[in-house]
Amino acid sequence: MASHATTEHTLAPGEIAKPNTGWIWKTFGVLVGITAVEFVFVFLMHPSTLRNSIFIVLTILKAFFIVGEFMHLKHETKGLIWTILVPVALLVWLLVALITEGSFIGEVLQNMFK
Amino acid sequence: MAQSTTLPHPAASATQDAPRTGNWDGGNEPFKASYGKLMMWFFLLSDAFTFAAFLTTYGMIRHKHEVFTGEAKDFVFSSRWWPIPDHVFNAFPGMGEANVPLGFVALMTMILILSSVTMVLAVEAGHRMDKADVQKWLLWTILFGATFLGSQAWEWSHFIHGHTEGTVMADGTVFHGANLAMNQYGPVLFADLFFFITGFHGTHVFSGVCLLIWCFIATTNGTFEKRGHYEMIEKIGLYWHFVDLVWVFVFTFFYLV
Repeated sequence: MASHATTEHTLAPGEIAKPNTGWIWKTFGVLVGITAVEFVFVFLMHPSTLRNSIFIVLTILKAFFIVGEFMHLKHETKGLIWTILVPVALLVWLLVALITEGSFIGEVLQNMFK
Repeated sequence: MAQSTTLPHPAASATQDAPRTGNWDGGNEPFKASYGKLMMWFFLLSDAFTFAAFLTTYGMIRHKHEVFTGEAKDFVFSSRWWPIPDHVFNAFPGMGEANVPLGFVALMTMILILSSVTMVLAVEAGHRMDKADVQKWLLWTILFGATFLGSQAWEWSHFIHGHTEGTVMADGTVFHGANLAMNQYGPVLFADLFFFITGFHGTHVFSGVCLLIWCFIATTNGTFEKRGHYEMIEKIGLYWHFVDLVWVFVFTFFYLV
């Protein structure tokens, strides 16, 4: 096992392993970066559907890093990943459908007696 | 009656179905996750439904109101149209009337993301059974969480008391700030949604801080060390990250869009 001697280090009783935190700070950097990009768009772009879409895409990207890395979902079993993602995907569909259809009906009712 | 004069010991009868040993007492562990962690995931899923309901309500009500179509610099508060967020949230503590659009909310977002980072660091320390590190990172998380709550209190207070110029209402009087029935920023429902959505999120943060304080006390008492694992920190951590996640969405839909 001499070849492993340099990479593997067995802990003595009571000894505490060295922290492995590089990936945490990397994820933090990504989240801060995305938030900074969002602020750039707030101040450099006029409000439009395109700007809102950019915000929503960036938000989902941030959600991916928080759920995947911080909540560790990326490293869970496939079954657990699907169990969480499928209901959320259906929920997003419901949200989009309710807002579009609801707004349409609201508009129709508002203009009905005009 | 000669064969069985002694009754089996109660503990012995409990082990009679010996194959039922192991994690969830069915001999295996669904999704290779502990019972508690999986149930936390399902709770968070149900909590996501609640916040999705809030966001749906927000979207529909916002679409029902007029949009301000002019140039952003000509924007004035009016109950006729939905306010532009960076005109409402432009104050910073200690800077008086200075115009700092979205500055304070950016700071709050940073604080919450940072608290998420210290939470993962606490979980990571728990994996290594490093009690001192767990304590340290839990304290940082509690500190950032409490700071966020304080910032939100300031934000609410400023929103309620309003900008000095106020807005002239339909009857000619000048109204400052906001309550559930009237506000200077725009339609009544704008302030109502602000109070309900950020208030509901703030309540979640408050519960999270309470749970973290309890975790810190239990860590200090050595409860998790005796148990042999720091899984409780992981479960509370899941909840804490979810609260951060909700803020990411509230931030986008309330302050940016």
